[in-house]
Formats: sequence, structure tokens, C-alpha cells
Amino acid sequence: MIRLLRIARREYLAYVRTPGFWLSLLLLPVGLSTIVIAPMALNHSTPVPRVAVIDFTGEQLQAAVARALAPAPGARAQAVLVADPQPAYADPADAQRRIQPYLRGQKVLPDGEPLEAAAIVHPSGDTVAVDFWSRNIGASNLEGLINRAMERQVRADRLKSLGIDPAALDQVENMALDVSDFSPKAAAGRVEITDQLPAIAGLAMGMLLWMVVLTGAGMLLNSVMEEKTSRIIEVLLSSASVPEIMGGKILGVACVTGTILLFWISIALGVAAIRSPPLAGELAHVFLDHGRWAYFALYFAGGYLMFATLYVTIGAFCETAREAQTLLGPMMIIMSVPPIFMSQSIGHPDAPLLKTLTWIPLFTPFMMAARSAADPPLWEILATAALMASVTALELWVAVPAFKAGALATGRFDIRLLFRSVSRHAGP
Amino acid sequence: MAAALDVQGVTKRYGAFTAVNDLSFELEAGKILGFLGPNGAGKTTTVRMILGLIAPTAGRVQVLGEDDPARVRNRIGFLPEERGLYRRMSPVKAMAFLASLKGLSTAEGGRRGRDLLVRYGLAEFADKPIKSLSKGMAQKVQVLSTLAHNPELVILDEPFSGLDPANQQALEDLIREIAAGGATVIFSTHVMQHAERLCDQVLLMARGKKVFDGTVEAARSAAPRTLLLEGEFAADQLSDLPGVAELTAEPMPAGGLRVSAALNRGAPAQEALREAFAKGLDIRRFELREPQLHDAFLVLTGGGAE
Repeated sequence: MIRLLRIARREYLAYVRTPGFWLSLLLLPVGLSTIVIAPMALNHSTPVPRVAVIDFTGEQLQAAVARALAPAPGARAQAVLVADPQPAYADPADAQRRIQPYLRGQKVLPDGEPLEAAAIVHPSGDTVAVDFWSRNIGASNLEGLINRAMERQVRADRLKSLGIDPAALDQVENMALDVSDFSPKAAAGRVEITDQLPAIAGLAMGMLLWMVVLTGAGMLLNSVMEEKTSRIIEVLLSSASVPEIMGGKILGVACVTGTILLFWISIALGVAAIRSPPLAGELAHVFLDHGRWAYFALYFAGGYLMFATLYVTIGAFCETAREAQTLLGPMMIIMSVPPIFMSQSIGHPDAPLLKTLTWIPLFTPFMMAARSAADPPLWEILATAALMASVTALELWVAVPAFKAGALATGRFDIRLLFRSVSRHAGP
Repeated sequence: MAAALDVQGVTKRYGAFTAVNDLSFELEAGKILGFLGPNGAGKTTTVRMILGLIAPTAGRVQVLGEDDPARVRNRIGFLPEERGLYRRMSPVKAMAFLASLKGLSTAEGGRRGRDLLVRYGLAEFADKPIKSLSKGMAQKVQVLSTLAHNPELVILDEPFSGLDPANQQALEDLIREIAAGGATVIFSTHVMQHAERLCDQVLLMARGKKVFDGTVEAARSAAPRTLLLEGEFAADQLSDLPGVAELTAEPMPAGGLRVSAALNRGAPAQEALREAFAKGLDIRRFELREPQLHDAFLVLTGGGAE
């Protein structure tokens, strides 16, 4: 046992001292920060665009746009309505021609800023036409904002002329049915967002396990391959038993991925606690309620052990990354299945197909984690745990002789060697 | 003295292929054994059976008095062929880790590792990553890493391969020191000169079979002494010299012949030489060559090459 722990410790320290570990550790916080901060930073670093409305309708549309662009207290304006830089146009075509130098950047506004866009509004039969000119073809948000403001104003004017109160019409248009969701599974009968948290947490845990298995697999494969290529594996085999070596490696990599996960979860909970304390409380409640933490721990440990054993054994037969890829190809195809079905578990955790997939050993830990919100009965939990344990025991029975045979072999992977080692192990 | 290693009737088969065939030998504690043979002779397979990495198909291997080598793991030091170490670890940390698997605490393993590095002139590299060391230094570290736990039996598989002459000499000195310290040493090689200089006992293998087991001197005596003669004469003029068993002739670039005359066991070279001069042959140079281990190996294996 002491050897197993020492191998695990070396494995852990070997990864912790690599730049890749620290990059992985910072990946989530940096990624989240980038998603949140980058758009804000981009917004703040860009000057507030200047827009002009050249109105030939006489319907006071500039005032409507100015009201729409007025920022909320403390907020940053999306755009500023500026005075028409070249007043007294003969017609829309004249306006279009004279505004061009501003939009091309050949002229600037009196305050020295460029004109970002101009809306030339003119009558068109019974309605109003808007020619929206912009420096930036992709400025659809700004265009939509200005157009909606003018549209509201034009509609209000038309309603008034027909003797209809625009406010009354708005009230009717904005009326909506007061819909409430109820379910016997909801805590208070009425379905709240907090009632959906267990399903979301289950899916998140299933996906997290899937990521851990993939990440851990790469680490284990590389570790065993490196030791096999350099023949250190023979020194280890002369110093410790195969279960000690395999166990040490699996435990060491589990600690590495565990450290990363713990850090990520702490960051996520910390952010949730700061931004939305009730949400953090609800999340904590989801994990602590019904012993769900133990449920997740069971499938995390069982699933990781099942896959890690498989990958360590595969690694013992590989000397190059190409050999590993060849052997892992079929595994990767199988591993692409769980995420597809896990996402369905939020709406239909008890769907017959999902329940069936639960009993395929390679999918069991992922599907059971994702289906946690359905509160599977105790017999199902015990039976799936026994299934995982049986498969892992079978893997270990095959893996111990196979690992040794693979580790001591040289040259390309030979499937016959694997079968020979296992058949010898099974023999009298 | 008690046997550190007792191998009796050991055979290892892989399907129809027999890697080691009915091998038996003993090695006294504190001695150096050279395990000799060409590639594919079964040396590495035998080493792996001694270490308990693979089980023999038949026969018995007793290591340090135990039938199960796994029970004496902590008393054995092993350096595999084409060895390597963790490239990003420092020599001290690597040695501490490997020693910790042999029953020492990591701290004690590190302390002993550092002592060894200091003693063998590697103190300034003790804390640098192994990947920054030269090949010779790294190989020295690898050999030292098998010693930090003071093993009673040290097994080195092809330890000289890839080393330059200076490092080969340093490794020879190190092996002598290990044995002088009381440990038993087994090393495999296909370079006979190392065994000739180092070994108390040599075990010659070919095609999985033992072809000789004994001292270097005994092995040499299996090969004939050779009388080398150069001059202007015909080879058949030497065929009836007393004690000569076999002649090998080759022309020399500057003219004349060079003849190697293998002597019968116990035949004195002087008589053959005296007879050659008595015949009035134009002999310009002669030399009596004692057999080398290489010659013995060729004789014992009937050619030796696999």
C-alpha cells in the first residue's frame, strides 16, 4: 500500500509541476472572465456612436429617437443623437449625397467625433420609409433600436388620428396570460427555477465526469507510455506489484483532476455566492439534499476507476502516440455517445431509452449522474453500482496480466500478446 | 559461502518458441557474474525470471534464499537495458523515489542518493533536471539509482551499451566497488572484454541454452592457443608442424602470408616454431596468442552468431 501511495504521490507531483496543469487550473476562471469581461471591455473601449436622424416627415421622429437612446441612470448610452450636420436638404437624395463625406470619414462632427450612422426618414405613400446609412454594415442593433423608436412614434400618431388612445392599445397588446407550472415533483407544487436545479446539476455532474474521464485518460496514457518507452516501467515492476503500480497511477491522476475540479467548483461557487447568494444556497441544498453528494461520489469514483483501468492497460501496450490513437479510436466513438443522451435527461430523465442506456456499463456512470433528478430507486442505484464494480473487477482481472505483458513487450502492439497474457492468467 | 542465486532447470517458452532452455547455475554471494551471449541468447528473459517479472515455464529460481523473487524485491537493485529515468525529475528526487519503492523513506532515499552523487562526482548536477545532463552523466545516475537502497543483489542488463570508453571504464570501477562492498553483481553483455576484466564467473548462453558456466580462465582454456606466423612461405609447408591442429592463411598487402596455426590443447608452441625454423622457412614475424573470451565463446557456441 505504501508503494501505491508513493507512486501516486510522484504521479501527482509530476503533473502539478508542469505548465499544463496550471493552464488547466486557470482555464475555467480565465475563460469565464473572458466571456464576461471581454464584451464589457470592448464596449467601454469603443466610443459612443453618433447618429443623426434627417426627418422629411414632420412627425417629430428625432425626439422619439432621442428618448429611446437616453441611457438609464448610471448606464452607458448605446448611441448619441446629434444635430443634423448639414441642415436644409432639398430632398432625401440630396441628404444622402451630402451625408456621405461624414460616413466615409472625410468629415467629422463639430465635436470632432465621426458620424456612425444616419437615418433618412421620408414619406412613402401611406407609410414612412427609412434609409439607414451606416459606416459599419453590421450595426444591426443600432438600426433596430432607432427604427423601433420611430415605428412606435409613427404608429402612435396614426392611432391618434384615428381617435384611438395609443396607451390603451399598448396595454391590450402587452397583456399576457398568467401561466404557472405545477408538478407533484416540485417542492411547493408550483414549479420554480429551483425545482429544475437538480436536473441541471445532474447534467452538469454527468458532463463533468465525462470531461474528467477524457482528461484523466490522456494523462494516464501518456504517463504509462513515457515509462514504457524509457523502460522505467521495468524498474517499477521490479520494485512493486502490478496492482500497486496501476493503483498508484490511477490515484495520482485522480488527485490531479480532483484538484482541478475542486478549484473550478470553488471558483464557481464563490462567484455564485457573490453574485447571487440565494442561488449558491440552492445549489448547496441540491447537493446536500437526499444524500445526492454521495450519489454523485459513487458514480464519479466508479466511473473513473472503470475507465482509468482500461486506459492504463491500453497505455502499457503503446510506445507511440500513433499506436495509442489507433487503440483509442473505437473508445472515442463510444465516448461520444453519452453527452448526446445526457442532455435529454433534463426534460425526460425517465425516458425508456435513457433508462436502457443506463444498463450499458460504459454509459452507466454518466447516465446515472445525469438522471439524478429523477431520484432513481435504491435498487437501481445498488444494481448499477454492482454492475460498475463487476465490470471494474473483470477489467482488473484482465488488466493485471495484460499490463505486465504489455509493459515488458517491445515493438508494435500485438493483440495476440494481450490474449495470450489473459489466457495464461485464466489457465490452471 | 551461501548462494545468492540458484537457478535450476529453468525453461521459458512463448508458444512454440523456447527463449531459455533448461538453464541451471549458481552464484555465490559477493561475486560478479557476467551473463554473456549474442542478441537473442535469452539473457534478458533470464534476468526477468530472476527478478520475478515473468514466471518460468519449468524449473526453479531461488534469489537470496527465497523461491519467490517478489519477497526480496527490496534487496535487489535492477537496471534495465535501454534504461531511462524521469527526464523532468532531478537525480536526487528520482533516486529518492526509486529508493522509496525499495523500503526506504523518501527522505532517507534522497539523503543516500545525494551521498552517492557526491561520491561519484555528480554533486553539482544533483538538483538539476535529468534532461539537462549529458548522456554519460545520465547513465551514471541511472546506475547509481539502483544502489541507493544498498541492495544485496545488483542486476545490470547491458549496462555498458551506449557509453563512451571513459564512461565504460568508470562503470567498470563502479561495479568493482559494488562487489567490494559485499553485494553480488550480475550484468549481461555481449561485449566479452568487460566480462574478462570484471567477472569472477561467466555464464555463456546461445540460442537459449547455457554453453559454459565457470571462471574466465576456464572459459579461455576451452579455446586453443594460436601461433601466428608471417613470411614468404606456402601454407601447406606448415601443415605438418607438431601440435598444429588447424591453419588459417591470408595474404598480406605487402606480399607474403599470415598464417594462424591453432595449437592442440597442451601442445607447446616452441616445438612447432623450432620445426618451422629447422625447415628453413622465411619467417619474418611470429607471435603466440593466448585465447580470449571471445575465442572461447566462438568455440563453445560453434560460431556464436544467432
